[in-house]
Amino acid sequence: MWKVASGVFLGWSLGANDSANIFGTGVTTGTVKYRTAILLTAVFVLLGAILEGPKCMATVKDISSLTAMEAFCCTLATAVTMAVLTFMAIPASSSQGIIGAVIGAGILSGTADFSKLYKIVSCWAFTPLIGIILGYFFYRSLKYLLNKTVNSLTMRNYIYFVGIIIAGSYGAYSLGANNVANVTGIYVGTGILSAETAAILGGVSIAIGVLTYSKKVMMTVGKGIVPLDPFSAFVVVLAEAVTLHIFTQIGVPVSSSQAVVGAVIGIGLSVDLRTVRPKVLAKIAAGWLLTPVAAGILSYLLIILITSGIV
Amino acid sequence: MFFDKILSHDKKEQRVIENIREHIKLLCTACNTFRLGIGKNNRKLINDVAELERKGDSIRREIISNIYNGAFLPYLRPDLCKFVEIVDRVFDLIEDAAFLYLSMEIPEHANREENKASFFMGIPEPVKNECGRVTFLNVRICEMLLITFEAMLKGEDLSEKTLAIRIYEKKIDDIKFNILEEIRKIDIDNFWEGKIVSDFIAAITRVSDIIEDASDHIQIISVSMR
Repeated sequence: MWKVASGVFLGWSLGANDSANIFGTGVTTGTVKYRTAILLTAVFVLLGAILEGPKCMATVKDISSLTAMEAFCCTLATAVTMAVLTFMAIPASSSQGIIGAVIGAGILSGTADFSKLYKIVSCWAFTPLIGIILGYFFYRSLKYLLNKTVNSLTMRNYIYFVGIIIAGSYGAYSLGANNVANVTGIYVGTGILSAETAAILGGVSIAIGVLTYSKKVMMTVGKGIVPLDPFSAFVVVLAEAVTLHIFTQIGVPVSSSQAVVGAVIGIGLSVDLRTVRPKVLAKIAAGWLLTPVAAGILSYLLIILITSGIV
Repeated sequence: MFFDKILSHDKKEQRVIENIREHIKLLCTACNTFRLGIGKNNRKLINDVAELERKGDSIRREIISNIYNGAFLPYLRPDLCKFVEIVDRVFDLIEDAAFLYLSMEIPEHANREENKASFFMGIPEPVKNECGRVTFLNVRICEMLLITFEAMLKGEDLSEKTLAIRIYEKKIDDIKFNILEEIRKIDIDNFWEGKIVSDFIAAITRVSDIIEDASDHIQIISVSMR
């Protein structure tokens, strides 16, 4: 049972990191208090993980048949890869990390099923693209709708506030539903955990990460993003949430950060503004390639080291 | 606190809006009182301007305190506060102008005995009418600011309103240049007499510039919430 410890650790770091994508701008601009933000995120992440988390678990467990020890190595390799890439300021995705690690372990054991990979990789490519489309669409349509129906300043202020809270809660729900598979989904295939138990355990570990260690990242991410107006901030979170939810229904865990960046670009396109610098896009592309490759190599090496008795 | 904010709908915001409305209305009253005071040479009305300025100060403090107690999104707060501060600067200017008016001496060339009863203060005669026109336009431009503010609250197009304010400002600027030309012809007996007259004219003609800034700020608030 101790072998799920690395998964729980990965969940904790995912919660500490990715919650910034949901309420980061809301907290740093003072729209939502930090305490309110983390409580809402923790509750809805757990809810999403329990209600819809198992949908993505099948994808993770079907890529290759792993033993409990290999699963432990995969989650550990993903956690270490994410920590190193984050330290190098390269955006890393736990979804890509875990898939890369499972492939690495599968290559070693000869059980890797590459036929499933095309679906996963195409979903990764579509994540920022759908983020862009939804960001553009929501910005245009909701703005049109608001301009037609709500003209009062105070009412708009109220709608933006409630909108940010609702979109944030939905974002947290989608994050839990989509990303819990990265954390404990791998253990379902090994038979250590049932899908339901894995969802609860993963959800709780993400929620604990949100509650205990998300402040620093939330402040950094919130202040690092282009200062968005309340309406754009609402649209970004909504587009991210819907993107994650779509991929949850498809059953593929994807990166919430890439969905956010896509949504910000979408808004930039709809108002004819350059919201993301090419340098940032290059960094995201580097992370996109490096995370699965590095996690795959690391899990491969970790398994060799552990199974050969060196460690 | 969080649920309070959701359930109370927009009560805090409505209170702030109501106070800002009252603040601008009070400014209109202050400008009108000043205009009447000058027109009738009435010391009491001129003194009332200072009282209205103090009342305006108190409303400004209440608005800012309510804003920082959680009314409106933090994104909007600095702009709203700045708008209120700009309006308050007009109050200060009108109060300064009132004090300067009260400290004006009757010019040496005027008949002091004849003027004592009804004319205890003196704007130099050659520019008196023009100064009266400026104070009248100041009332109008303040009323226009209130109309612009109301239009912003309803989400209406502000371009015509802000254009009207700019036209008023231009008119006052033109009058100011006339006054400056005329005032050179007036004999001044001492430095302070001249300085007070000059400061008074500068104060009444600057009101429109600041109102124009305030209307620009209304435009910024409107755009930032669209």
